[in-house]
Amino acid sequence: MDNRIKEYRARHDLTQEDLAKKVNVRRETIVFLEKNKYNPSLKLAHDIAVVFGVTIEEIFIFD
Amino acid sequence: MKRGFLALLVSVLVLGAAALWFFTAEKSVSATGVIEFGIIIVLVGFGFYFAFRRFSSATRGEPLEDELSKKMIQQTAAWSYYISLYMWVFMIWLKDKMALDTDEVLGAGILSMAVIFLACWIAIKLRGLRNG
Repeated sequence: MDNRIKEYRARHDLTQEDLAKKVNVRRETIVFLEKNKYNPSLKLAHDIAVVFGVTIEEIFIFD
Repeated sequence: MKRGFLALLVSVLVLGAAALWFFTAEKSVSATGVIEFGIIIVLVGFGFYFAFRRFSSATRGEPLEDELSKKMIQQTAAWSYYISLYMWVFMIWLKDKMALDTDEVLGAGILSMAVIFLACWIAIKLRGLRNG
């Protein structure tokens, strides 16, 4: 599973730390997500999509 | 925060006990003793890192634990449990081969379990946690 978190984060001018605080996770989790080293839970994927105001499918690309 | 203090306290106690043993040993410490002391230092270093990580997260206003850190610890525990089973089988074989004392085998085994846990944690951190 690929994702476009980095791209959307840049569009919304958010740092990794800002995004981490908004979705209530550690910054390390955002780093892992952007490096594609972690598949998030449905809740986290939903929270990230809500922050960017898009659907989960727009952020996370399922193979 | 509580677990951060606990990790710090345990690390300091282990380091203190190991230093006391190392510097007050009546006989000169053997090469194995030096290796054991070195391993203890590495493990204590890990304890300090763990405590520091929690304190820095707390000061940044981040949660001390989240879904990734919890899953990482669970995965590390699972991997190290399986590997430790084989390690103990090896220890039993080694005890018969080298005629080691039971306390020596137990000490080495417990130390090895801690090293295996640390190695698994590092491996998972490098590899990541992807499903499938």
